Amino acid sequence: MKIMDLAIRTAISATLAVSGVVHAYLYIHGYRDIPAVGPAFLVQGSVFCALAVLILAGGPGWLQLFAAIGAAGSLVAFALSRTVGLFGFTETGWQPAPYAAITVVVEVLTLVLVVTAALRQRPRASKYLLPDLSPDGAAEPSARQG
Amino acid sequence: MPAMSGMASPPASASATTADAPVPQGGTAVSISDFKFNPATLTVPVGATVTWTNNDEEPHTIAAKDGSFHSPGMDTHGTYSFTFTTPGSYDYMCSIHPFMTGTVVVTK
Amino acid sequence: MSTENDPGGMTRRQLMRHSAWFGAAVVLTVAGGEVISHVAGSSGAAQQATPALRFAQISDSHIGFKGPANTNVTDTFNHAIGQINGLGYTPDFVIHTGDLTHLSTPDQFDQVKHMLGELNTPHVFTVPGEHDSTDDAGQKYRQAFGAGTRGDGWYSFDVAGVHVIGLVNTLNMQKLGHLGADQLEFVEKDVAGLSSDTPIIVFSHIPLFAMYPDWGWGTEDAAQALSYLKRFSSVTCLNGHVHQLFSKTEGNVTFYSATTTAYPLPAPGQGPAPKPVTLPAGKLRDALGIREVSYTKGQQALALKDQKLT
Repeated sequence: MKIMDLAIRTAISATLAVSGVVHAYLYIHGYRDIPAVGPAFLVQGSVFCALAVLILAGGPGWLQLFAAIGAAGSLVAFALSRTVGLFGFTETGWQPAPYAAITVVVEVLTLVLVVTAALRQRPRASKYLLPDLSPDGAAEPSARQG
Repeated sequence: MPAMSGMASPPASASATTADAPVPQGGTAVSISDFKFNPATLTVPVGATVTWTNNDEEPHTIAAKDGSFHSPGMDTHGTYSFTFTTPGSYDYMCSIHPFMTGTVVVTK
Repeated sequence: MSTENDPGGMTRRQLMRHSAWFGAAVVLTVAGGEVISHVAGSSGAAQQATPALRFAQISDSHIGFKGPANTNVTDTFNHAIGQINGLGYTPDFVIHTGDLTHLSTPDQFDQVKHMLGELNTPHVFTVPGEHDSTDDAGQKYRQAFGAGTRGDGWYSFDVAGVHVIGLVNTLNMQKLGHLGADQLEFVEKDVAGLSSDTPIIVFSHIPLFAMYPDWGWGTEDAAQALSYLKRFSSVTCLNGHVHQLFSKTEGNVTFYSATTTAYPLPAPGQGPAPKPVTLPAGKLRDALGIREVSYTKGQQALALKDQKLT
Protein backbone atom coordinates (compact mmCIF):
# COMPACT_ATOMS: atom_id res chain seq x y z
CA MET A 1 0.00 0.00 0.00
CA LYS A 2 2.78 2.37 0.79
CA ILE A 3 4.44 1.20 -2.40
CA MET A 4 1.21 1.94 -4.20
CA ASP A 5 1.01 5.42 -2.72
CA LEU A 6 4.60 6.05 -3.68
CA ALA A 7 3.93 4.80 -7.18
CA ILE A 8 0.93 7.06 -7.59
CA ARG A 9 2.82 10.02 -6.24
CA THR A 10 5.68 9.36 -8.61
CA ALA A 11 3.29 9.05 -11.50
CA ILE A 12 1.58 12.35 -10.62
CA SER A 13 4.98 13.99 -10.42
CA ALA A 14 5.92 12.58 -13.79
CA THR A 15 2.75 13.79 -15.51
CA LEU A 16 3.23 17.27 -14.06
CA ALA A 17 6.85 17.33 -15.12
CA VAL A 18 6.00 16.36 -18.68
CA SER A 19 3.29 19.00 -18.99
CA GLY A 20 5.47 21.68 -17.39
CA VAL A 21 8.48 20.88 -19.53
CA VAL A 22 6.43 20.85 -22.73
CA HIS A 23 4.89 24.23 -21.90
CA ALA A 24 8.31 25.62 -21.04
CA TYR A 25 9.74 24.27 -24.27
CA LEU A 26 6.95 25.82 -26.34
CA TYR A 27 7.40 29.12 -24.49
CA ILE A 28 11.07 29.15 -25.42
CA HIS A 29 10.29 28.27 -29.01
CA GLY A 30 7.86 30.91 -30.12
CA TYR A 31 4.92 30.98 -27.73
CA ARG A 32 6.70 33.61 -25.71
CA ASP A 33 5.49 36.37 -28.00
CA ILE A 34 1.83 35.59 -27.96
CA PRO A 35 -0.08 38.10 -25.86
CA ALA A 36 -1.34 36.74 -22.52
CA VAL A 37 -0.94 33.12 -23.61
CA GLY A 38 2.85 33.41 -23.79
CA PRO A 39 3.35 34.48 -20.17
CA ALA A 40 0.71 31.94 -19.13
CA PHE A 41 2.87 29.18 -20.62
CA LEU A 42 5.81 30.43 -18.59
CA VAL A 43 3.76 30.36 -15.40
CA GLN A 44 2.36 26.94 -16.14
CA GLY A 45 5.78 25.48 -16.86
CA SER A 46 7.28 26.92 -13.69
CA VAL A 47 4.42 25.95 -11.42
CA PHE A 48 4.05 22.42 -12.79
CA CYS A 49 7.76 21.67 -12.56
CA ALA A 50 7.85 23.02 -9.01
CA LEU A 51 4.83 20.93 -8.03
CA ALA A 52 6.35 17.86 -9.68
CA VAL A 53 9.44 18.16 -7.50
CA LEU A 54 7.57 18.81 -4.28
CA ILE A 55 4.98 16.09 -4.77
CA LEU A 56 7.71 13.58 -5.49
CA ALA A 57 9.42 14.73 -2.31
CA GLY A 58 6.31 13.81 -0.37
CA GLY A 59 4.70 17.15 0.28
CA PRO A 60 1.23 17.69 1.74
CA GLY A 61 -1.93 16.73 -0.08
CA TRP A 62 -2.92 20.26 -1.01
CA LEU A 63 -0.03 20.26 -3.48
CA GLN A 64 -1.84 17.53 -5.37
CA LEU A 65 -5.04 19.51 -5.17
CA PHE A 66 -3.31 22.48 -6.81
CA ALA A 67 -1.84 20.15 -9.38
CA ALA A 68 -5.29 18.86 -10.25
CA ILE A 69 -6.70 22.37 -10.48
CA GLY A 70 -3.77 23.37 -12.67
CA ALA A 71 -4.23 20.37 -14.93
CA ALA A 72 -7.95 21.01 -15.25
CA GLY A 73 -7.26 24.66 -16.01
CA SER A 74 -4.71 23.72 -18.66
CA LEU A 75 -7.22 21.41 -20.31
CA VAL A 76 -9.90 24.12 -20.30
CA ALA A 77 -7.47 26.63 -21.78
CA PHE A 78 -6.54 24.12 -24.47
CA ALA A 79 -10.19 23.56 -25.34
CA LEU A 80 -10.79 27.30 -25.50
CA SER A 81 -7.84 27.80 -27.82
CA ARG A 82 -9.34 25.34 -30.28
CA THR A 83 -12.82 26.83 -30.16
CA VAL A 84 -13.75 30.35 -29.15
CA GLY A 85 -10.20 31.51 -28.63
CA LEU A 86 -8.13 32.29 -25.57
CA PHE A 87 -7.31 36.01 -25.31
CA GLY A 88 -7.65 36.09 -29.06
CA PHE A 89 -5.35 33.18 -29.67
CA THR A 90 -6.56 30.17 -31.58
CA GLU A 91 -5.02 27.12 -33.14
CA THR A 92 -6.51 24.28 -35.06
CA GLY A 93 -6.66 20.59 -34.38
CA TRP A 94 -3.74 19.11 -32.48
CA GLN A 95 -1.16 21.69 -33.36
CA PRO A 96 1.59 21.91 -32.36
CA ALA A 97 1.98 18.20 -32.89
CA PRO A 98 2.89 16.13 -30.98
CA TYR A 99 3.16 18.51 -28.04
CA ALA A 100 -0.53 19.30 -27.82
CA ALA A 101 -1.58 15.68 -27.68
CA ILE A 102 1.14 14.85 -25.15
CA THR A 103 0.06 17.57 -22.74
CA VAL A 104 -3.61 16.66 -23.01
CA VAL A 105 -2.84 13.04 -22.22
CA VAL A 106 -0.61 13.76 -19.23
CA GLU A 107 -2.95 16.39 -17.83
CA VAL A 108 -5.87 13.99 -17.94
CA LEU A 109 -3.62 11.44 -16.25
CA THR A 110 -2.77 14.00 -13.58
CA LEU A 111 -6.46 14.42 -12.80
CA VAL A 112 -7.08 10.67 -12.74
CA LEU A 113 -4.10 10.00 -10.50
CA VAL A 114 -4.87 12.79 -8.05
CA VAL A 115 -8.44 11.57 -7.71
CA THR A 116 -7.18 8.02 -7.23
CA ALA A 117 -4.76 9.16 -4.55
CA ALA A 118 -7.48 11.18 -2.85
CA LEU A 119 -9.89 8.22 -2.82
CA ARG A 120 -7.20 6.09 -1.25
CA GLN A 121 -6.89 8.57 1.59
CA ARG A 122 -10.47 8.13 2.69
CA PRO A 123 -10.64 6.69 6.18
CA ARG A 124 -11.37 2.98 5.98
CA ALA A 125 -14.27 2.67 8.40
CA SER A 126 -14.72 -0.91 7.24
CA LYS A 127 -11.40 -2.02 8.58
CA TYR A 128 -12.66 -1.39 12.06
CA LEU A 129 -16.17 -2.77 11.58
CA LEU A 130 -15.62 -5.99 9.66
CA PRO A 131 -13.49 -8.82 10.90
CA ASP A 132 -10.62 -9.75 8.72
CA LEU A 133 -11.65 -12.93 6.97
CA SER A 134 -8.35 -13.45 5.16
CA PRO A 135 -7.03 -16.98 4.78
CA ASP A 136 -4.65 -16.69 7.70
CA GLY A 137 -7.76 -16.75 9.85
CA ALA A 138 -6.92 -13.87 12.18
CA ALA A 139 -10.14 -12.32 13.45
CA GLU A 140 -8.74 -8.93 14.39
CA PRO A 141 -8.94 -5.92 12.07
CA SER A 142 -5.86 -5.40 10.00
CA ALA A 143 -4.81 -2.99 7.34
CA ARG A 144 -5.74 -4.35 3.98
CA GLN A 145 -3.44 -4.33 1.06
CA GLY A 146 -4.68 -1.56 -1.19
CA MET B 1 -11.83 71.06 -41.09
CA PRO B 2 -13.42 70.43 -44.47
CA ALA B 3 -16.30 68.08 -43.93
CA MET B 4 -16.64 67.22 -47.58
CA SER B 5 -13.55 67.08 -49.72
CA GLY B 6 -15.20 67.78 -53.01
CA MET B 7 -14.70 65.15 -55.63
CA ALA B 8 -17.31 64.17 -58.21
CA SER B 9 -20.48 66.05 -57.35
CA PRO B 10 -23.79 64.47 -58.25
CA PRO B 11 -26.02 66.00 -60.93
CA ALA B 12 -28.61 67.25 -58.46
CA SER B 13 -27.92 69.39 -55.46
CA ALA B 14 -25.40 67.83 -53.13
CA SER B 15 -25.85 69.67 -49.91
CA ALA B 16 -23.27 69.74 -47.16
CA THR B 17 -25.45 70.78 -44.30
CA THR B 18 -25.24 70.80 -40.55
CA ALA B 19 -27.79 69.24 -38.28
CA ASP B 20 -29.81 72.46 -38.22
CA ALA B 21 -30.97 72.16 -41.81
CA PRO B 22 -34.28 70.37 -42.08
CA VAL B 23 -33.89 66.82 -43.31
CA PRO B 24 -36.56 65.82 -45.81
CA GLN B 25 -38.99 63.62 -43.96
CA GLY B 26 -41.00 60.78 -45.31
CA GLY B 27 -40.25 58.78 -48.39
CA THR B 28 -37.00 60.22 -49.65
CA ALA B 29 -34.79 60.25 -46.58
CA VAL B 30 -32.29 57.63 -45.48
CA SER B 31 -30.61 57.97 -42.14
CA ILE B 32 -27.31 56.34 -41.32
CA SER B 33 -26.76 55.33 -37.76
CA ASP B 34 -24.96 52.54 -35.99
CA PHE B 35 -23.45 51.63 -39.35
CA LYS B 36 -26.85 50.84 -40.86
CA PHE B 37 -28.96 52.48 -43.55
CA ASN B 38 -32.47 53.18 -42.36
CA PRO B 39 -34.60 52.25 -44.22
CA ALA B 40 -32.46 49.56 -45.79
CA THR B 41 -34.72 49.57 -48.82
CA LEU B 42 -36.30 52.81 -49.97
CA THR B 43 -38.83 53.00 -52.75
CA VAL B 44 -39.25 56.30 -54.59
CA PRO B 45 -40.84 57.41 -57.83
CA VAL B 46 -38.59 58.32 -60.73
CA GLY B 47 -37.37 61.91 -60.51
CA ALA B 48 -37.26 61.90 -56.72
CA THR B 49 -34.23 63.16 -54.83
CA VAL B 50 -33.03 60.89 -52.06
CA THR B 51 -31.08 62.46 -49.21
CA TRP B 52 -28.82 60.46 -46.94
CA THR B 53 -27.85 61.86 -43.56
CA ASN B 54 -24.93 60.49 -41.55
CA ASN B 55 -25.76 60.35 -37.86
CA ASP B 56 -22.73 58.27 -36.98
CA GLU B 57 -19.47 59.51 -35.57
CA GLU B 58 -17.61 57.71 -38.33
CA PRO B 59 -17.60 58.96 -41.90
CA HIS B 60 -19.53 57.01 -44.52
CA THR B 61 -20.02 57.15 -48.27
CA ILE B 62 -22.82 56.15 -50.59
CA ALA B 63 -21.46 54.11 -53.46
CA ALA B 64 -23.70 52.50 -56.04
CA LYS B 65 -22.73 48.99 -56.98
CA ASP B 66 -23.23 49.82 -60.64
CA GLY B 67 -21.18 52.97 -60.23
CA SER B 68 -24.01 55.37 -61.05
CA PHE B 69 -23.38 57.47 -57.97
CA HIS B 70 -20.59 57.79 -55.43
CA SER B 71 -20.73 60.37 -52.69
CA PRO B 72 -17.70 62.09 -51.23
CA GLY B 73 -16.81 61.14 -47.68
CA MET B 74 -19.68 62.24 -45.41
CA ASP B 75 -18.55 63.21 -41.96
CA THR B 76 -20.84 63.33 -38.93
CA HIS B 77 -24.10 65.10 -39.81
CA GLY B 78 -23.02 65.32 -43.42
CA THR B 79 -25.65 64.77 -46.10
CA TYR B 80 -25.66 63.65 -49.68
CA SER B 81 -28.46 63.85 -52.22
CA PHE B 82 -28.98 62.16 -55.53
CA THR B 83 -31.82 62.46 -57.99
CA PHE B 84 -32.87 59.24 -59.64
CA THR B 85 -33.84 59.82 -63.23
CA THR B 86 -34.04 56.22 -64.36
CA PRO B 87 -36.27 53.54 -62.86
CA GLY B 88 -34.62 50.42 -61.53
CA SER B 89 -33.18 48.90 -58.41
CA TYR B 90 -29.98 50.47 -57.16
CA ASP B 91 -27.92 48.53 -54.66
CA TYR B 92 -25.40 50.67 -52.83
CA MET B 93 -22.97 50.35 -49.99
CA CYS B 94 -20.59 52.42 -47.96
CA SER B 95 -17.20 52.19 -49.64
CA ILE B 96 -15.44 52.60 -46.30
CA HIS B 97 -17.50 49.95 -44.53
CA PRO B 98 -18.70 47.63 -47.28
CA PHE B 99 -20.72 45.48 -44.94
CA MET B 100 -23.20 48.38 -44.88
CA THR B 101 -25.61 47.91 -47.76
CA GLY B 102 -28.88 49.39 -48.87
CA THR B 103 -31.15 49.60 -51.90
CA VAL B 104 -33.14 52.31 -53.60
CA VAL B 105 -35.97 51.06 -55.76
CA VAL B 106 -37.04 53.63 -58.32
CA THR B 107 -40.48 53.08 -59.74
CA LYS B 108 -41.90 54.55 -62.89
CA MET C 1 0.52 13.14 5.48
CA SER C 2 0.61 14.18 9.13
CA THR C 3 -0.81 11.56 11.43
CA GLU C 4 -1.91 14.04 14.04
CA ASN C 5 -5.64 14.50 14.12
CA ASP C 6 -6.30 17.65 16.01
CA PRO C 7 -10.06 18.28 15.80
CA GLY C 8 -9.54 21.92 16.71
CA GLY C 9 -7.59 22.64 13.50
CA MET C 10 -3.91 22.70 12.78
CA THR C 11 -1.25 22.55 15.38
CA ARG C 12 1.52 25.06 15.27
CA ARG C 13 3.88 22.40 14.01
CA GLN C 14 1.51 21.53 11.19
CA LEU C 15 1.12 25.15 10.22
CA MET C 16 4.86 25.61 10.07
CA ARG C 17 5.21 22.46 8.05
CA HIS C 18 2.59 23.53 5.51
CA SER C 19 4.07 26.99 5.33
CA ALA C 20 7.46 25.49 4.63
CA TRP C 21 6.10 23.45 1.75
CA PHE C 22 4.23 26.47 0.42
CA GLY C 23 7.38 28.55 0.65
CA ALA C 24 9.30 25.84 -1.16
CA ALA C 25 6.66 25.82 -3.89
CA VAL C 26 6.95 29.57 -4.35
CA VAL C 27 10.74 29.52 -4.40
CA LEU C 28 10.86 26.63 -6.84
CA THR C 29 8.28 28.24 -9.13
CA VAL C 30 10.12 31.54 -9.25
CA ALA C 31 13.44 29.80 -9.75
CA GLY C 32 11.96 27.67 -12.48
CA GLY C 33 10.49 30.72 -14.13
CA GLU C 34 13.84 32.49 -14.06
CA VAL C 35 15.57 29.52 -15.62
CA ILE C 36 12.96 29.17 -18.37
CA SER C 37 13.02 32.91 -19.13
CA HIS C 38 16.78 32.91 -19.25
CA VAL C 39 16.83 30.01 -21.65
CA ALA C 40 14.17 31.72 -23.76
CA GLY C 41 16.18 34.89 -23.79
CA SER C 42 19.28 33.19 -25.01
CA SER C 43 17.87 30.31 -26.98
CA GLY C 44 19.86 29.61 -30.10
CA ALA C 45 23.46 30.67 -30.27
CA ALA C 46 22.55 33.52 -32.57
CA GLN C 47 20.34 35.20 -29.98
CA GLN C 48 23.38 36.58 -28.23
CA ALA C 49 24.07 38.65 -31.30
CA THR C 50 21.97 41.67 -32.21
CA PRO C 51 18.81 40.75 -34.07
CA ALA C 52 19.26 40.78 -37.84
CA LEU C 53 16.22 43.03 -38.32
CA ARG C 54 14.33 45.37 -36.03
CA PHE C 55 11.39 47.47 -37.11
CA ALA C 56 8.42 49.24 -35.61
CA GLN C 57 4.75 49.13 -36.53
CA ILE C 58 2.37 52.02 -36.04
CA SER C 59 -1.21 52.09 -37.26
CA ASP C 60 -4.56 53.82 -37.69
CA SER C 61 -3.56 57.39 -36.90
CA HIS C 62 -6.82 58.75 -38.40
CA ILE C 63 -5.49 62.28 -38.74
CA GLY C 64 -8.55 64.48 -39.10
CA PHE C 65 -10.73 62.60 -36.63
CA LYS C 66 -12.58 64.81 -34.20
CA GLY C 67 -14.71 63.07 -31.66
CA PRO C 68 -15.02 62.40 -27.95
CA ALA C 69 -13.10 59.15 -28.26
CA ASN C 70 -9.93 61.18 -28.90
CA THR C 71 -10.08 64.94 -29.11
CA ASN C 72 -6.51 65.22 -30.34
CA VAL C 73 -5.36 62.42 -32.60
CA THR C 74 -2.47 64.56 -33.79
CA ASP C 75 -1.13 64.71 -30.29
CA THR C 76 -1.36 60.97 -29.66
CA PHE C 77 0.19 60.22 -33.05
CA ASN C 78 3.04 62.62 -32.29
CA HIS C 79 3.50 60.91 -28.97
CA ALA C 80 3.67 57.50 -30.63
CA ILE C 81 6.28 58.80 -33.06
CA GLY C 82 8.26 60.12 -30.12
CA GLN C 83 8.02 56.73 -28.46
CA ILE C 84 9.45 55.04 -31.52
CA ASN C 85 12.24 57.59 -31.67
CA GLY C 86 12.96 56.84 -28.01
CA LEU C 87 13.31 53.07 -28.32
CA GLY C 88 17.05 53.16 -27.72
CA TYR C 89 17.92 51.91 -31.19
CA THR C 90 17.16 53.01 -34.72
CA PRO C 91 14.60 50.70 -36.28
CA ASP C 92 15.58 49.46 -39.73
CA PHE C 93 12.23 50.77 -40.94
CA VAL C 94 8.80 51.76 -39.68
CA ILE C 95 5.57 50.46 -41.19
CA HIS C 96 2.25 52.28 -40.92
CA THR C 97 -0.53 49.75 -41.54
CA GLY C 98 -3.13 52.15 -42.81
CA ASP C 99 -5.91 54.65 -42.07
CA LEU C 100 -3.24 57.31 -41.97
CA THR C 101 -5.93 59.93 -42.59
CA HIS C 102 -9.52 59.94 -41.48
CA LEU C 103 -11.15 61.47 -44.55
CA SER C 104 -8.53 61.30 -47.35
CA THR C 105 -8.27 65.08 -47.64
CA PRO C 106 -5.16 66.65 -49.20
CA ASP C 107 -4.45 68.50 -45.95
CA GLN C 108 -4.62 65.33 -43.93
CA PHE C 109 -2.26 63.51 -46.27
CA ASP C 110 0.18 66.42 -46.10
CA GLN C 111 0.04 66.45 -42.35
CA VAL C 112 0.60 62.71 -41.97
CA LYS C 113 3.45 62.70 -44.44
CA HIS C 114 5.12 65.53 -42.57
CA MET C 115 4.66 63.83 -39.22
CA LEU C 116 6.03 60.51 -40.48
CA GLY C 117 9.06 62.43 -41.65
CA GLU C 118 9.89 63.04 -38.00
CA LEU C 119 10.64 59.37 -37.44
CA ASN C 120 14.32 58.56 -36.97
CA THR C 121 14.51 55.66 -39.37
CA PRO C 122 15.98 55.09 -42.82
CA HIS C 123 12.66 54.21 -44.38
CA VAL C 124 8.94 54.49 -43.69
CA PHE C 125 6.56 52.08 -45.45
CA THR C 126 2.78 52.33 -45.54
CA VAL C 127 -0.27 50.47 -46.76
CA PRO C 128 -3.55 52.34 -47.24
CA GLY C 129 -6.66 51.93 -45.13
CA GLU C 130 -10.21 52.40 -46.34
CA HIS C 131 -10.24 55.86 -44.77
CA ASP C 132 -7.37 56.77 -47.09
CA SER C 133 -9.51 56.19 -50.18
CA THR C 134 -12.99 57.44 -49.27
CA ASP C 135 -13.66 59.19 -52.55
CA ASP C 136 -10.96 58.56 -55.11
CA ALA C 137 -10.01 54.87 -55.11
CA GLY C 138 -6.70 55.75 -53.49
CA GLN C 139 -5.38 58.37 -55.89
CA LYS C 140 -4.38 60.90 -53.26
CA TYR C 141 -2.87 58.13 -51.12
CA ARG C 142 -0.71 56.96 -53.99
CA GLN C 143 0.35 60.52 -54.78
CA ALA C 144 1.58 60.88 -51.22
CA PHE C 145 2.88 57.39 -50.48
CA GLY C 146 2.79 55.33 -53.65
CA ALA C 147 6.33 55.89 -54.90
CA GLY C 148 7.84 52.60 -55.95
CA THR C 149 4.64 50.62 -55.61
CA ARG C 150 2.67 48.71 -58.19
CA GLY C 151 -0.96 48.57 -59.10
CA ASP C 152 -3.08 50.07 -56.35
CA GLY C 153 -0.05 50.44 -54.11
CA TRP C 154 1.40 47.02 -53.37
CA TYR C 155 5.10 46.18 -53.19
CA SER C 156 7.72 43.88 -51.75
CA PHE C 157 11.31 44.13 -50.66
CA ASP C 158 14.03 42.08 -49.00
CA VAL C 159 15.91 43.09 -45.90
CA ALA C 160 18.29 41.08 -43.72
CA GLY C 161 17.23 37.84 -45.34
CA VAL C 162 13.55 38.53 -44.71
CA HIS C 163 11.05 38.99 -47.53
CA VAL C 164 8.47 41.70 -46.85
CA ILE C 165 5.26 42.18 -48.82
CA GLY C 166 2.91 45.17 -48.56
CA LEU C 167 -0.65 44.48 -49.69
CA VAL C 168 -3.62 46.72 -50.41
CA ASN C 169 -6.93 45.18 -49.43
CA THR C 170 -9.09 48.26 -48.97
CA LEU C 171 -10.16 48.97 -52.54
CA ASN C 172 -12.95 47.38 -54.55
CA MET C 173 -14.37 45.91 -51.40
CA GLN C 174 -17.67 44.07 -51.46
CA LYS C 175 -18.30 43.06 -47.89
CA LEU C 176 -14.79 42.31 -46.72
CA GLY C 177 -11.29 43.33 -47.66
CA HIS C 178 -10.34 42.52 -51.23
CA LEU C 179 -7.00 41.81 -52.88
CA GLY C 180 -8.03 41.19 -56.48
CA ALA C 181 -6.62 39.05 -59.25
CA ASP C 182 -3.73 41.34 -60.21
CA GLN C 183 -2.44 41.56 -56.69
CA LEU C 184 -2.82 37.81 -56.13
CA GLU C 185 -0.81 37.18 -59.27
CA PHE C 186 1.83 39.55 -57.94
CA VAL C 187 2.08 37.58 -54.68
CA GLU C 188 2.33 34.27 -56.50
CA LYS C 189 5.13 35.42 -58.78
CA ASP C 190 6.85 37.40 -56.06
CA VAL C 191 7.55 34.45 -53.78
CA ALA C 192 8.03 31.82 -56.48
CA GLY C 193 11.81 31.94 -56.42
CA LEU C 194 12.35 32.13 -52.67
CA SER C 195 13.62 29.24 -50.57
CA SER C 196 11.09 27.86 -48.12
CA ASP C 197 13.09 28.87 -45.07
CA THR C 198 12.97 32.55 -46.00
CA PRO C 199 10.94 34.33 -43.33
CA ILE C 200 8.00 36.15 -44.88
CA ILE C 201 6.29 39.22 -43.42
CA VAL C 202 3.06 40.52 -44.93
CA PHE C 203 1.60 43.93 -44.15
CA SER C 204 -2.02 44.79 -44.84
CA HIS C 205 -4.59 47.12 -43.36
CA ILE C 206 -7.52 44.77 -42.96
CA PRO C 207 -6.78 41.40 -41.32
CA LEU C 208 -6.01 38.60 -43.74
CA PHE C 209 -7.95 36.19 -41.55
CA ALA C 210 -11.60 36.13 -40.57
CA MET C 211 -11.46 38.08 -37.33
CA TYR C 212 -15.08 39.26 -37.46
CA PRO C 213 -16.66 39.22 -40.91
CA ASP C 214 -19.89 40.88 -39.78
CA TRP C 215 -17.94 44.08 -39.31
CA GLY C 216 -15.84 43.61 -42.42
CA TRP C 217 -12.87 42.36 -40.39
CA GLY C 218 -11.59 39.87 -42.92
CA THR C 219 -10.37 39.61 -46.52
CA GLU C 220 -12.43 37.59 -48.92
CA ASP C 221 -9.62 36.37 -51.16
CA ALA C 222 -6.81 36.20 -48.60
CA ALA C 223 -6.94 32.41 -48.57
CA GLN C 224 -5.62 32.35 -52.08
CA ALA C 225 -2.75 34.67 -51.23
CA LEU C 226 -1.88 32.60 -48.19
CA SER C 227 -1.94 29.43 -50.27
CA TYR C 228 1.07 30.80 -52.16
CA LEU C 229 2.84 31.10 -48.81
CA LYS C 230 1.97 27.64 -47.49
CA ARG C 231 5.39 26.15 -48.13
CA PHE C 232 7.28 28.73 -46.08
CA SER C 233 8.29 27.84 -42.54
CA SER C 234 7.72 31.30 -41.11
CA VAL C 235 4.95 33.64 -42.27
CA THR C 236 3.90 36.59 -40.14
CA CYS C 237 1.03 38.87 -41.11
CA LEU C 238 0.78 42.28 -39.47
CA ASN C 239 -2.36 44.32 -39.90
CA GLY C 240 -4.24 47.29 -38.47
CA HIS C 241 -7.86 48.31 -38.98
CA VAL C 242 -9.34 46.75 -35.86
CA HIS C 243 -7.73 49.15 -33.38
CA GLN C 244 -6.93 46.42 -30.87
CA LEU C 245 -4.28 43.82 -30.24
CA PHE C 246 -5.18 40.37 -31.40
CA SER C 247 -3.23 37.38 -32.58
CA LYS C 248 -4.02 34.06 -34.16
CA THR C 249 -2.03 31.19 -35.58
CA GLU C 250 -3.33 29.17 -38.48
CA GLY C 251 -0.95 26.51 -39.69
CA ASN C 252 2.36 28.12 -40.59
CA VAL C 253 0.96 31.66 -40.47
CA THR C 254 0.70 33.89 -37.43
CA PHE C 255 -1.47 36.99 -37.64
CA TYR C 256 -0.93 39.96 -35.35
CA SER C 257 -3.35 42.87 -35.31
CA ALA C 258 -1.88 46.11 -34.01
CA THR C 259 -3.59 48.74 -31.95
CA THR C 260 -4.16 52.31 -33.05
CA THR C 261 -2.75 55.67 -32.09
CA ALA C 262 -6.19 57.30 -32.39
CA TYR C 263 -9.20 55.70 -30.69
CA PRO C 264 -10.25 52.22 -29.61
CA LEU C 265 -12.94 50.11 -31.26
CA PRO C 266 -15.07 47.51 -29.50
CA ALA C 267 -14.04 43.88 -29.35
CA PRO C 268 -15.75 41.74 -31.98
CA GLY C 269 -19.48 41.66 -31.36
CA GLN C 270 -19.33 43.94 -28.32
CA GLY C 271 -21.86 46.43 -29.60
CA PRO C 272 -23.89 47.08 -32.71
CA ALA C 273 -21.06 48.35 -34.88
CA PRO C 274 -17.32 49.10 -34.98
CA LYS C 275 -17.72 52.65 -33.80
CA PRO C 276 -15.21 54.67 -31.77
CA VAL C 277 -15.29 53.83 -28.08
CA THR C 278 -15.00 56.69 -25.63
CA LEU C 279 -13.10 55.47 -22.59
CA PRO C 280 -13.19 56.99 -19.10
CA ALA C 281 -10.83 59.91 -18.61
CA GLY C 282 -7.21 58.90 -18.42
CA LYS C 283 -7.75 55.43 -19.90
CA LEU C 284 -7.28 56.31 -23.56
CA ARG C 285 -3.51 55.96 -23.67
CA ASP C 286 -3.67 52.40 -22.38
CA ALA C 287 -5.65 51.42 -25.45
CA LEU C 288 -3.23 53.05 -27.90
CA GLY C 289 0.27 51.96 -28.70
CA ILE C 290 3.12 50.99 -30.96
CA ARG C 291 4.81 47.69 -31.67
CA GLU C 292 8.43 46.59 -31.96
CA VAL C 293 9.27 43.56 -34.10
CA SER C 294 12.60 41.84 -34.38
CA TYR C 295 13.95 38.93 -36.33
CA THR C 296 17.00 36.96 -35.26
CA LYS C 297 18.70 34.50 -37.55
CA GLY C 298 18.06 30.97 -36.41
CA GLN C 299 14.73 31.79 -34.77
CA GLN C 300 11.72 30.97 -36.83
CA ALA C 301 9.19 33.13 -35.04
CA LEU C 302 9.50 36.90 -35.00
CA ALA C 303 9.70 38.53 -31.60
CA LEU C 304 7.01 41.13 -31.01
CA LYS C 305 6.71 43.64 -28.23
CA ASP C 306 3.63 45.80 -27.96
CA GLN C 307 3.97 49.04 -26.04
CA LYS C 308 1.17 51.18 -24.71
CA LEU C 309 1.29 54.90 -25.26
CA THR C 310 3.04 56.30 -22.23
